[in-house]
Amino acid sequence: MIRLSKVKTDPVENLKRHAEAIGEAVKQAIKPDRITVEYPRERRRYPECFRGFIVFDKEKCISCFRCAQICPANAIQMEYFDKAYPGIDYAKCIFCHFCVDSCPTGALNTSKVHDVAFKSMDEMRLSARQITRVPEIVREEKQTVEYYVDRNVWKLVRRRELDRLEVPPKPVKVRERKAACTEPESCLGCRLCANVCPQNAIKVEKCEVSIGEEVTGTGCVLQIQTDLCTGCGLCVRQCPMQILTLEEVGE
Amino acid sequence: MMDVVSYLYETFSSNMMDIPLIAPIVDFLTKIPLINFIVALILWKPFFAVIIMPGLGVMTLYLLYIVWYERKLTARVQWRVGPLEVARPIRGAIQTLADGIRYFFQEAIVHREAHRPYYVQLPILAFIPVLLPIMFIPAGSAVGIYTPYSIQLTVTFIALIPITIVAIGWASNSRFAYIGSVREAFMYFAYEVPFIIAVISMIFLYSSGDAYVAVEKQSAIPGALLNPIAFVVYIIAMLMATSRLPFEIPEADQEIAFGPFVEYSGILFGLVMVLAYEKLYIMTLLFTILFLGGWSGPYCPLLGDLNGPLWMFIKTIVVISILVIVRSIYARYRLDQALRIGWTSMLALSIAALVVGGVIGVWLS
Amino acid sequence: MAREWQFALPEKKHEKKYFGNLKAEVIDAGLCCHCAACASVCPVNGITAGDAPIDFPNWIKECVDCGACIKVCPRWDYTPKSGLGEYIEVTAARSKRFVGQDGAMVTEFTASALEMGLIERAIFVARDSNWRTRIVTIRTPEQLYDRKITGTKYSYADVLPALKDAVLKSEAVGFVGTPCMVTAVRKMQQAFKKFERVKLAIGLFCTENFYHHDLYNFLLEKANADLRNAIKTDIKKGKFIVEMKDGSRVRIPVKDFEEIIPSGCKVCQDFAAVDSDVSVGSVGSANGFSTVMVRTEVAKSILEYIREKDYAEFQEPKLEVVQKLCDHKIKIHPWPPEK
Repeated sequence: MIRLSKVKTDPVENLKRHAEAIGEAVKQAIKPDRITVEYPRERRRYPECFRGFIVFDKEKCISCFRCAQICPANAIQMEYFDKAYPGIDYAKCIFCHFCVDSCPTGALNTSKVHDVAFKSMDEMRLSARQITRVPEIVREEKQTVEYYVDRNVWKLVRRRELDRLEVPPKPVKVRERKAACTEPESCLGCRLCANVCPQNAIKVEKCEVSIGEEVTGTGCVLQIQTDLCTGCGLCVRQCPMQILTLEEVGE
Repeated sequence: MMDVVSYLYETFSSNMMDIPLIAPIVDFLTKIPLINFIVALILWKPFFAVIIMPGLGVMTLYLLYIVWYERKLTARVQWRVGPLEVARPIRGAIQTLADGIRYFFQEAIVHREAHRPYYVQLPILAFIPVLLPIMFIPAGSAVGIYTPYSIQLTVTFIALIPITIVAIGWASNSRFAYIGSVREAFMYFAYEVPFIIAVISMIFLYSSGDAYVAVEKQSAIPGALLNPIAFVVYIIAMLMATSRLPFEIPEADQEIAFGPFVEYSGILFGLVMVLAYEKLYIMTLLFTILFLGGWSGPYCPLLGDLNGPLWMFIKTIVVISILVIVRSIYARYRLDQALRIGWTSMLALSIAALVVGGVIGVWLS
Repeated sequence: MAREWQFALPEKKHEKKYFGNLKAEVIDAGLCCHCAACASVCPVNGITAGDAPIDFPNWIKECVDCGACIKVCPRWDYTPKSGLGEYIEVTAARSKRFVGQDGAMVTEFTASALEMGLIERAIFVARDSNWRTRIVTIRTPEQLYDRKITGTKYSYADVLPALKDAVLKSEAVGFVGTPCMVTAVRKMQQAFKKFERVKLAIGLFCTENFYHHDLYNFLLEKANADLRNAIKTDIKKGKFIVEMKDGSRVRIPVKDFEEIIPSGCKVCQDFAAVDSDVSVGSVGSANGFSTVMVRTEVAKSILEYIREKDYAEFQEPKLEVVQKLCDHKIKIHPWPPEK
């Protein structure tokens, strides 16, 4: 049988602790340190890096599909207009902002909106046109609340002003990269790279293959036009012999 | 027929409460033939004591107040806000009323395995030992039935309540209810003996079980100072009896999913919820009589006979409000720890209280 | 890094897409040897191989008309290879550490090449309990002690598609194949530079191969031999021998297999895998020994390594027997085939 030894309690110490506890409770009962935010009459002041509703800038998008590939919830579907633009399904989005992080040109950005309401599940699938701006919501908040924490002391500060919900986009260090072929002798001639390029930057032209002066047969010339290439990397992924790569073009 | 009515009217008006504040209105109303009967009935002392103050009417008010107050105070101590939205300008004060109305309209589900007659009737039956002591507990000159054994009777009825709670858990025929009932039975053993011994020690002290004698003997020093040990024992027994934290063992929310009352919903749930609060009210009434000087307090000439009940009520409310703070501070004891406290510390203290009570009782008389 | 490059397009013989040409000239003409080289290079992975004839379902819509399949097909513009081929050395050997078909020299060469660091991966053919073929990638010599991996299987296996995947993942790859597969790989290495990563091509002595379902049903009907109970299959002295679990042996003359030999094998004259780095087979050496014909410097270095580490014992081969079988194959498979 296991005997648990009785915990040594010091009655004086106990009494002191009891008194302390009761004193603390009475103090809180009189002047409480409340930390409740009375939403929706006021809202918490969110930091600039808050992960909220995702805002899309059409001009910067190069249709590289990275956001759709990295989304862990499969919430992004690319929609085909002139190029392919991402549409976000907010029924699935978990606001992890992997897509914002992975966008090479900074076309996707965050905002401070986190409480959009929809009336049906179909409405939650937002197309690329609908996420270019922060959604218009009727808001009731009249003040913001901010927490200041200093070790054990929590202090709430209430202010009458409201902070802006749009966050200015952070400048992205855009690395210029262009596609190039590492091993032209292995090219199958399948032209899948030319088909998949969203900018149509790879040109296919018929030519005559010759060794020296002699014409030995027919063939084609593939040319990557660097001024059109945005470095999205879709051709690199597509090549069945894996001979394309992205090369950094120095500043 | 008229003889009966006039006989009744004679009985009523001979024993009316004398409140100078509303005396002119009463005088005026006595002249109107039918209404004077009703007024005489209302102001008849036994009726007043049992139905209005400190009886059922005031108890309902107390219930409306205590639930809201407890939730608000606990929330304040826990850095929260508590119920707020029901009537926002008065910070949610009528939350209990809203809850009560909701319980009236909610479906009271009686599940298939329950023993249907007991399940439905027991919450009502459980109110008998809770409400009967009101007839005996006096408040000033207003008393339901005068008896020199009022304290003993009250203790007897209080001792009957846990049996009904165990029966409620048993009738529910569910494993949580069963465990809750077993815990309630254990707690019953833990606190009952020290509680009874503490009350007996006070009876020794006052050398009588009559509430009037007890209050009279406390005119100089309140009972709490005369026998502080019994005071402490009674408070702890009160916490155990009404399953309030830190002894909320039969009804522990996080452990046993509300114990014996887990299967109740609708108006039956409303009834069992107020059961614990009403038991607390009765025990606090007894506490006030034994330790705090009962209905004695500064005399206000305007109120006349209403003094006694009013002061009793105020003291009761103050004591209960203090117990609510205790609830918000302490964590829950384990069952074996609570039993150990009941049978070692509390028993020893109560026997010491008995000795002290005996000594001081001899000295007082 | 080029931004502009050319690729050649082979000449079409019909006015169709390139797979249509391949189908008309090779598959429907009965020349296809099922080496699956076309399936391995097809950029849309449309060409299917497996235990059925080579096909590209829906090629009319889905073929991208690149011509890669024609560039690598050994039966396109076919002139058969034959004879003993060029060799540096011939020997008969038996591995001391592995158990295979005869001397386990294919296994030994692969293991030694892995140990020498000449190759990183090797494509091997294993079998399941039904004797169906399965491709395995060998990375360490320890994997080759599994008796289900070593030994001859006598049915088609998709070695070349697995070879292409391995070539994209690793810089030095080796494989084992029939003579038609080895010829196809040489064509692939000429057409596309990436296949020069295939550093070791081991060829087998081969007269014909079979579809697995044909072989299984033939053995079951003609000799009541269920391949599921077999532990070894062998062809010796013109007889197909199946050794069963209970110790019994079933012997069927190879001539009886005429009805299930695929048409592509009936035009092949290459017995000794003349395009390989080293050819291995049972013909020309004693029981339990394999004839090894070393043809290139790479294979010679491996043989030196084996000799140095004493991984095998050596004997004198009988090259005349091999020559006799080469001539026999030319005789029974004339080109162009008689109608």
